[in-house]
Amino acid sequence: MEPLKLVNVVKQYGDKTAVNQISLEVGRGEIYGLLGANGAGKTTTMRMVLGLIYPDGGEILYNGKPYHAELQQIMGYLPEERGLYPKIKVSEQIVYLARLRGMSQQDADKSLRYWLERFDVPEYYDKRIEELSKGNQQKMGFIAAIVHKPQIVILDEAFSGLDPVNVELLKATVKELRDEGTSILFSTHRMEHVEELCQRITILHKSNTVVQGNIRDIKSRYPREEVLLHTTGDVGGLDVIPGVTAVERIDRGYHIRIAAPETAQGILQKAMQETTVERFEIKEPTLNQIFIQEVGDSHE
Amino acid sequence: MNKLGTIIGFTFKNKARTKSFLITTLILALLITIGMNVPYIIKLIKGDDASKAEQIGILYGSQPVIAAELEKYAAQSGNKDYTFIKYEGTAPDQAKKDLEDGKIEGYLSFDGGDGAFPAVTFTGGEDGMGQGISSFLMPALQTVKTTVIAKDALSAEQIAALNEPVKLDTVRINAEGKTEAGGDTHREDMQKAMNYVVVYVLLILFFTSNMMTGNMIAAEVTSEKSSRIMEILITSVSPLAQMFGKVIGIFLVGIVQIAVFGVVVGANLMLPHNQDILQGYSLSISDINLPVLFYGLLFYILGYFLYAVLYAAIGSIVSRTEDLGQAVMPITMLGLASFYIGLFSITASGSMLIKVTSFIPFTAPTAMLVRIGMGTVPTWQILISLVLLLVSILFFGWLSAKIYRTGVLMYGKRPSIKELRKAMKAYKI
Repeated sequence: MEPLKLVNVVKQYGDKTAVNQISLEVGRGEIYGLLGANGAGKTTTMRMVLGLIYPDGGEILYNGKPYHAELQQIMGYLPEERGLYPKIKVSEQIVYLARLRGMSQQDADKSLRYWLERFDVPEYYDKRIEELSKGNQQKMGFIAAIVHKPQIVILDEAFSGLDPVNVELLKATVKELRDEGTSILFSTHRMEHVEELCQRITILHKSNTVVQGNIRDIKSRYPREEVLLHTTGDVGGLDVIPGVTAVERIDRGYHIRIAAPETAQGILQKAMQETTVERFEIKEPTLNQIFIQEVGDSHE
Repeated sequence: MNKLGTIIGFTFKNKARTKSFLITTLILALLITIGMNVPYIIKLIKGDDASKAEQIGILYGSQPVIAAELEKYAAQSGNKDYTFIKYEGTAPDQAKKDLEDGKIEGYLSFDGGDGAFPAVTFTGGEDGMGQGISSFLMPALQTVKTTVIAKDALSAEQIAALNEPVKLDTVRINAEGKTEAGGDTHREDMQKAMNYVVVYVLLILFFTSNMMTGNMIAAEVTSEKSSRIMEILITSVSPLAQMFGKVIGIFLVGIVQIAVFGVVVGANLMLPHNQDILQGYSLSISDINLPVLFYGLLFYILGYFLYAVLYAAIGSIVSRTEDLGQAVMPITMLGLASFYIGLFSITASGSMLIKVTSFIPFTAPTAMLVRIGMGTVPTWQILISLVLLLVSILFFGWLSAKIYRTGVLMYGKRPSIKELRKAMKAYKI
């Protein structure tokens, strides 16, 4: 039984379809990536999962059951615009939010102190949100989303606007939550985070699902069209090899684009005949490339 | 239920601690204190002048008898505010001069002593004849006239009896057909006056606290919406609990504020110099009609909730605090109408308007209050009005929670009625 399962979920705003037939499953201890350009339908999907808005079609199942009030206790949510009271102390509002989610005062306070300690900012306990920098406000929002030890966590653009140190800190925390069995639905438009954290992803484009599945499977579906070649000397006539579409001279060798994977062998042989090969790699497409290929063209 | 308590506590604590609330309360308390002590302060500034009687000149002229009687009357009546001062002759030169110098408030002159009683003219300064002077002179002249005309025909007792005001007792027949004896007229008058004060105070209290707390609620909801914390709140707790938690929390804040003002008013009344003034009106707390107070407070609280849930609903539809003022307009108007219907009907508590409006939930808190306080209302009518009010609180509370649930997620353009209706159908509260 998957903790979270979406089946053909549709959401319409007037004549506009915001989310069209999305289906996905998030398992226990999984970080599921939801990718897409701005306005692709990520946030709408998340809001439907949270029960904030009601799907116009399809169904959302939590541990096999439809939405019910008890879910409020086991879900955590970090909205894209950090939802916290600017003028109220960190301790007061996070304990308040945790209590609304069914925690006792003592447990909430203990949990908050643990997380502040964990993020190395115990002094924020008595600070008001508006006194903190934007990045730190976001950390507090993150704590507010997980302070009650939820089973399902929804993170909308959790890492945007953070410095690299804090991104690493949050990534480590998210991984830790995953290892403890939390199901995390995670949206972003930063591919490198997804490749590091997620096994399965869905790429949304203009309300439709364009790519979905295991990252490795997805990548294998896309042909390897790039060869990286580092050599000690020059290699002539690479561009006349059949199947080579472009050759670019780079610092220590060549960056070659090919039409079919078989061409790569010809390049290697040719290079070995002429000089010493230091490095040869048939590169797999990055998610970024896949994303741009699927989404980018219509972006312009 | 537990969560409701958490929300009430959080709302109360954070609202009551804001600087704006503390400062407003402090300033208003200060204004009340100043306002209540203004008469005393003026008295202090004016010094002894105020306690000294104001003088009214009499041109003795051709009517020495009337003048003498007036002086006698003034001495007998025990009125310390005005005394007469004599001017010899008929020429007003000296009196005019004294008037200009401010020594006297005005002077009386008599024309044509041929008839039974001459025409009397009061010549005053810039202010003319003030209310105080008029209410002093009229009975004085009336008494003197009687004395002068009937002097020889009637005995002193008969004249005194003539001057006695007519006694008019009231007896009311209530709705059950029983007569209520007039009983102690004085006490009844005092109770009526006290009822008037209670009704008046409750009316103003209802109106001001409704406006203030109502706007507070709407602003609170809108700011939660614009800071998107609403998205977290709605996924944590049911909108109904959220809305009523907020409404009750802010209600408590309002109560605390009113209590503070009450203490300030009480403390000011306790001051010795204000005690005298209060006694001057011969009002005492024991004259307060408890049923009026009880019903007044009951209608006050229920009315508050009815308006408060509507304010919360409006707050949830608006996305930005700047748009709020315009959006709450209809409810503000409703509150205003309710207030003025009550206020204007205090003297006409039996009118058709107030009878009808006392059954309309939005105006019932003020209209019924006036009816109970200033007249008699059959109990069954009060109960019907209360039940209607309760039912409409439940209905509008439910409707507002629906709007709240739906409205908080509509950003940007204002939602159309159709969209709202569709969204409302979808959510359970």
